[in-house]
Amino acid sequence: MSPTATNRPRRLSDLLDPAFMASLDVLDVMSRKILQGKLQGERRAKRRGRSVEFADHRPYVVGDDLRFVDWNIYGRLDQLFLKLFLEELDLSVQILIDTSGSVAMGEPSKELAIKKLAAALGYVGLVNNNRVTLSAFADGLRGQAANMRGRRYAQRLADFLLGIRAEGLSHFERACAQLAARRAGAGVLIVISDFLFKEGYEAGLRRLTCQQYDLYLIQVLSPQEIEPDLTGDLKLLDIEDGDAAEVTISAALLEYYKRNLAGYCNELKDFCRRRGMTYLLTNSAERMEDFVLKTLRRFGLLK
Amino acid sequence: MYLLKLRRRELPVSSTLLWRRAVQDLQVNAPFQRLRLNLLLVLQLLALLAVLTALAGPVLSLRARAGRRYVILIDCSASMNATDVRPNRLAEAKRQARQFVESLRTTSGFSLGQEAEQAMVIAFANTAKVMCGFTSDTHRLLRAIEAVRPTDGGSALATALTVARAFAQSPGEDAGGRGAAEPARLELFTDGRIADTAKLAVNPGELVFHRVGQGGGNVGIVAMQARRSFERAQEVNVFATLANYRPEAVDLQVQLAVDGNVRAVRDVHIPPARAGQVGQVAAPGKTSISFTLAHGGAGVVELRQLRPDALASDDAAWAVLAPPRKLSVLLVSAGNFALESALKACSLGRLEVKTPAEFDAIDREALDADQPYDVIVLDRHLPQKLPRGRFMVFGAPPAGIGVKVERTIANQVVVDWRRRHPVLQHVDLDNLFVLRARRLSLPRDAQVLAEFGEGPALALVSRRASTYLLASFDLMQSNWPFDVGFVIFCYNATRFLGGELARTEEGSLRVGQAIELRVGRRGQSARVRGPGGIDLEVRPDAAGTLRFAGTWRAGVYTVQPPHRRARRYAVNLLDANESNIAPADEMLFSGQPVKAQVKPAGSANRELWPLLALAALALVCLEWLVYNSKVRL
Repeated sequence: MSPTATNRPRRLSDLLDPAFMASLDVLDVMSRKILQGKLQGERRAKRRGRSVEFADHRPYVVGDDLRFVDWNIYGRLDQLFLKLFLEELDLSVQILIDTSGSVAMGEPSKELAIKKLAAALGYVGLVNNNRVTLSAFADGLRGQAANMRGRRYAQRLADFLLGIRAEGLSHFERACAQLAARRAGAGVLIVISDFLFKEGYEAGLRRLTCQQYDLYLIQVLSPQEIEPDLTGDLKLLDIEDGDAAEVTISAALLEYYKRNLAGYCNELKDFCRRRGMTYLLTNSAERMEDFVLKTLRRFGLLK
Repeated sequence: MYLLKLRRRELPVSSTLLWRRAVQDLQVNAPFQRLRLNLLLVLQLLALLAVLTALAGPVLSLRARAGRRYVILIDCSASMNATDVRPNRLAEAKRQARQFVESLRTTSGFSLGQEAEQAMVIAFANTAKVMCGFTSDTHRLLRAIEAVRPTDGGSALATALTVARAFAQSPGEDAGGRGAAEPARLELFTDGRIADTAKLAVNPGELVFHRVGQGGGNVGIVAMQARRSFERAQEVNVFATLANYRPEAVDLQVQLAVDGNVRAVRDVHIPPARAGQVGQVAAPGKTSISFTLAHGGAGVVELRQLRPDALASDDAAWAVLAPPRKLSVLLVSAGNFALESALKACSLGRLEVKTPAEFDAIDREALDADQPYDVIVLDRHLPQKLPRGRFMVFGAPPAGIGVKVERTIANQVVVDWRRRHPVLQHVDLDNLFVLRARRLSLPRDAQVLAEFGEGPALALVSRRASTYLLASFDLMQSNWPFDVGFVIFCYNATRFLGGELARTEEGSLRVGQAIELRVGRRGQSARVRGPGGIDLEVRPDAAGTLRFAGTWRAGVYTVQPPHRRARRYAVNLLDANESNIAPADEMLFSGQPVKAQVKPAGSANRELWPLLALAALALVCLEWLVYNSKVRL
């Protein structure tokens, strides 16, 4: 295992190849909650407002906009009625990616997998005129590409992803607190990380559940983490905080490690299920195209 | 020998989080493991700790008190023998005092303060007795309380208060640098029947009154006297007063016994007591009785009321009867026909006439100890040293009794005299004329019986157990021998002085009064026997006086000096205040009321072991709950 410095992505096409982009064009981000956006978009909202989709009539009262008076009805009934429409609003799609030191590990690298996933999901959002905000965190929020809308922002999305390097400590709770403090509004929030936080993920996730987010958690693990191929007496160094764990690899230890990993992932899954979040686990060795096109569609994030 | 440090290959991983957990899991199954902090283990240890602490028996002192020094005053007077509380009030008072001592803060045990509290124990009846000085040693205090013995004495707090305050001035033996200025609080365990509280003053909050007793009716003998009839020596008159402190009238029997032989039993009706405030007796119902019986010799008269009641101490009274005896008088005179013939007319038992030289030859020591003469008449003779006795002195007064001669006065008549005094009854001094007399300067306590125009004529002076009847003139310088009143005077004077003797020899004492008996310098130790199994040897002091102060129970005490006739002393309670056993709710100290703390002070020192045992149980339950909830997760 070595940091993947050699095959760093340099162009958008390294993250999303054109065939994949073409298949993403037909997809849209789905929100299980019908949420309220800020700009008029392509999404039906519960609120009545301006759009083309007719909802109802109501009697005219003084002060109403004369432009919405239904003159046909006036001609027939000699009474003023207003036409009401279902307002179509945009959807806020927030993507929070982990760029701490730990995601740089793995062969293939988790960083690349995370960036590919973020690019794909962001692209889908942009294409469907959703308000896409991409945030990266390590020890707190590191950067943000905020309020992108429309296909033309794909390049900016790619630039943000390509320009950020995975390094440093991770502090998930602080990042979540900062994100929540930005009040980006309700919408879909997708968190992509390995969720290997020493201080725990519970406090951070609890901060996000307070907001009106439709939360998706995608855990990306490397094959080396899922099936460690280690032998001998080792001093394992934590890439983030330098913590050293002296282990002597044995069948029993490996057994306990796997059991622990499974337990850890199950705990996270349980935590999410209880709070109405969607949890997804992927391996960085998996083809992201398959994951996006099959798994995410199956879980209802994309349609 | 050294440990080989394994050289490990370093390998970076994304996170050691899961590896650490795995290593921990592996260690769990290893045979020897480092003790890990486990909630269950902590709970178990806490439970064990609670059980062990409970076994150690800690005591928590809950009462935060202002003072840190206490004087425990225990009333052991007669009224504390009342059995209205079982077994009696004194036992109850001691129990409350013990409880109080046990509630004292000691340095051991858990307490709200750091310093130990000190206490001292004083038992008091008529007088006070320090049972134990200031100490914080609870066991000593408890022993001191246990050592308080019941008495039949009256109750007076003055001495106890003085002693307590004096002790409070000095730091105790284990004061630990504590200042003596710290005020001591008085914890008074009594039934509230204390005679002298009106004269005492206490600061507010200085004294806490723990009331003992519930009240109960009592009938007691409050006065008793037995004496021989003046006319007939064989006849003995016994007078007594019985008091009833019950709200209803009482009919009872009174029994009179002489030397243990019952001589008379009489039914007596006593009216009810007049009720005062709630539970208090304003005035008891009283009945006086008198008995007349013939008894020639010496003896002890016992009067006993036969109705059982709450207080037994006042159900009986005793009087010692001296055998009838005619006076024996010694006249020391160079020759005075008038005086001698007047004394001869007085029907005395014995009249001896001695010249001054003969009188001076008698051994003073023998005169002092044996008292062979009831009255000694000194006519114009002044010996150097007078023995103890009763004297009638004509002429110059004896030295050493505080009487001085100022000058000589002439041609005096009596201007005033005390006609009611027993010495001058039926004596007319109107015609008395004195040619020459001495002007006497008398001590302040002297009684002047008759007065000339310029000075006292007749005076009564008591000094050092002797009584002197002084005439300031020579008999032969006056016309008194020719007056019929002179013979009456001699009769009265010998009777009076002899009666003085009879009164002191009667041997009637109050409880707590010391028995004093002169045995002379060469006297040997005497055996004293008394009620309650008193039987001990008492040595006379350097001046030749036997003193026995332990007359704390009512009854008859016998003093038996070797080779001498035994003396008997009747020690009686005869105290209306003690017979009234209704416990007081408040005591008035110089008009300032001190309320009784009726409810006995609950134990302020709480044993902590039940709490700790409960805590241990709770911890075990909690541990079980935690264990179960962990398993369910």
